[in-house]
Amino acid sequence: MNLLPRLPLRELRRTPNRFVVATVVLAFLSTLLLFLGGLLDGLYLGSTGAIRSQQADVLVFSSSARDSFLRSRITPELRTQVEAVPGVTEVGGLGFVLLGAQVPGQTELADVAVAGYELAPKGVPATALDGQGVADSRLQDQGVSKGDTILVGPAATPITITGFVDDTGYLLQGSVWVNLSTWRMVQNANRPDSAVTDGVVQALVVRGAGTHAALAGAIDAASSGATKSLTLDEAVLALPGVKQQRDTFNQIIYTTLAVVLAVVGLFFSLLTLERIGLYGVLKAIGATTKRLFIGVLLQALIIATISFIIGSGLAMAAAAALPAKVPLQLIPSRFISTFIGLLVAAILGSAISLRRVTKVEPASAIGSVS
Amino acid sequence: MFLAFHEMKRAKVRFGLLTGAVGLLVFLILFQQTLLSGLVNQFIGALKNQSGEVLVYNDQARKNLEGSIILPEQLAQIQLVEGVADAAPLGEATFTVTAGGQERDTVIIGYELGRAGAPTTLITGRLPTADDQAVASEKDTADGYGLGDVIRVQPDGAQITVVGIARDINYSVSPVLFVDFATYESAKRTRNPDAERILPSAVAIHVVAGASANQVVERINATVAGVEAMTRQQAIDGSPGVSSVRSSFAVILALFYLVVPLVTGLFFLIVTFQKASALTLLRAIGAPAKVLVRSLLVQVVVITLAGSVVAFGLYAGALQGVKNLGVHVEVMPAVQTSLVVLALALATSLVAIRRVLRIDPIAATTGAGVTL
Repeated sequence: MNLLPRLPLRELRRTPNRFVVATVVLAFLSTLLLFLGGLLDGLYLGSTGAIRSQQADVLVFSSSARDSFLRSRITPELRTQVEAVPGVTEVGGLGFVLLGAQVPGQTELADVAVAGYELAPKGVPATALDGQGVADSRLQDQGVSKGDTILVGPAATPITITGFVDDTGYLLQGSVWVNLSTWRMVQNANRPDSAVTDGVVQALVVRGAGTHAALAGAIDAASSGATKSLTLDEAVLALPGVKQQRDTFNQIIYTTLAVVLAVVGLFFSLLTLERIGLYGVLKAIGATTKRLFIGVLLQALIIATISFIIGSGLAMAAAAALPAKVPLQLIPSRFISTFIGLLVAAILGSAISLRRVTKVEPASAIGSVS
Repeated sequence: MFLAFHEMKRAKVRFGLLTGAVGLLVFLILFQQTLLSGLVNQFIGALKNQSGEVLVYNDQARKNLEGSIILPEQLAQIQLVEGVADAAPLGEATFTVTAGGQERDTVIIGYELGRAGAPTTLITGRLPTADDQAVASEKDTADGYGLGDVIRVQPDGAQITVVGIARDINYSVSPVLFVDFATYESAKRTRNPDAERILPSAVAIHVVAGASANQVVERINATVAGVEAMTRQQAIDGSPGVSSVRSSFAVILALFYLVVPLVTGLFFLIVTFQKASALTLLRAIGAPAKVLVRSLLVQVVVITLAGSVVAFGLYAGALQGVKNLGVHVEVMPAVQTSLVVLALALATSLVAIRRVLRIDPIAATTGAGVTL
């Protein structure tokens, strides 16, 4: 009887062909899940890094901007009102402009988001000199090196790169963090229709006391509705397309997991049917339903694990082979969540066989082993 | 036929699960195909359905209309290029507007009336003939962009009246208003009173009769510094979002098309293994192999078609959730996809058919089935 738990392993080892097709199907589904998740992560992380890295309690936009940096405009007067709100301790200006940049030694332009700041995001120096900036590390893939002077926009405004910072992309473009006067210079030279005068910024980074919601409410009340204040999480989801992308991809991922569940369920219910006679014999010699089901479960988990390993390899190969314009980013947490999803689907799928295993009559063993 | 249906009737859970799995997979293919075409149309509809055969961007814009500006001297030089019949400024930007009583994001495209850059898919009303008039997209009529509706640019800017409705003219997945260039300029100044000057984002070009758009593109790129000329199709294909969306979805769809027949093939292969003894017996009592093969094929067809029906129901329901992409439930693409999936499923079931054909009736006398 002690040998019983070994049976499913022995079956896997001795008749691997029986499990090959299911493993292949699940491996492709694993690749699909990782690919979908990787795209979602690539789009999300590449678009939102500049906001997630802010060390702020709330971000303040002008109310007519509909939470868009590029349409928001905070005047010095509005800033003064925000600074005077009880609970507000620090206020800094923030602005973005999306442009192409000429990189020394490169023929292709790099996509950059020149970001002007006063309160430094995570990893960015507290201050920056005029004409100098710290670049997001994704720009290294486009040939940018420390010490390079990149020429930004149609006006070829020079910015010297003094270092790199990770995970601060903005709308899939590499940020270059500069002081506000450099940002204004870049903006006014390259986008005269979006020019800003001294003191004007697109948004305010605010640090303060109390809950974020209370702080946001107090700021908007003090400005008589001229501002709209968002927490960082809200500001991330307000970026164009971020919420829609996340919702759509998650729906596809969950539906694919349902397919995994159906495939595992299908496979093991068929396999169980095939083994009814064998289960009858095992029950006749004392095996419990629980032990038999554990065997099915064990096989499902092993197949799911092997499939996941193969699927991960395929996903990583696909990621390496795909052009850089596909925003695929495979991160450890996605591998973990996909693996857990597969295991749960495997457990639930194999549970479909439970009813049949329970119904096996030991008497069926007599003269009917097939 | 009798065998096929009788077996399916007696193993409802087994065949039900397979139908469900095929249904979900076909649904995902249909949904993603629709999502892809909807997204692409929503990204670039306005470029596709404007009258300029050639579009010229700033060469620093990386084919991104929103990131492009054309300087007056560049526009002047473009007008002189051989093959250019009309080179007109085209402005594009996203604004906050009040439409249908709500604040909404709207792309305003400004063009010079009667010149290149006008919308080409007008279905109701007329093109603008003066300031503060617009052609809006058919998809957004219910959101306050209908004929006669008045849209206000925020904060407290121009009031634009919709005088025409055109099909598929959205841009960057937002509602679009085609207005005259002066109205666009006014909207820009409303949004940013500090604006130093309002420059066009691009130049829309009519080529002279008989001239090739490709040749005009080459000539502009060779003679005008700092710009990138493209045919309309090149501008569409190069738009940010479009190429990455297309390549991402291509990989996802390829994987789905691979998985569906594998799942179906797997199922019928296992079922064939399980029925080995019964099939051997049937062969031994005189059933021709073609009857067994036909039975198998009937099951593949029935399961795939039933799965496709399930998928179509899910697809029709799911599209209600992405109405903002302007996508509609269409039967023909669903039928085409189902037929492709059916062909692939039949192809993978060849492995099971091979097993059936390899059954030796003599094995019935020895009690053995087919070997795995």
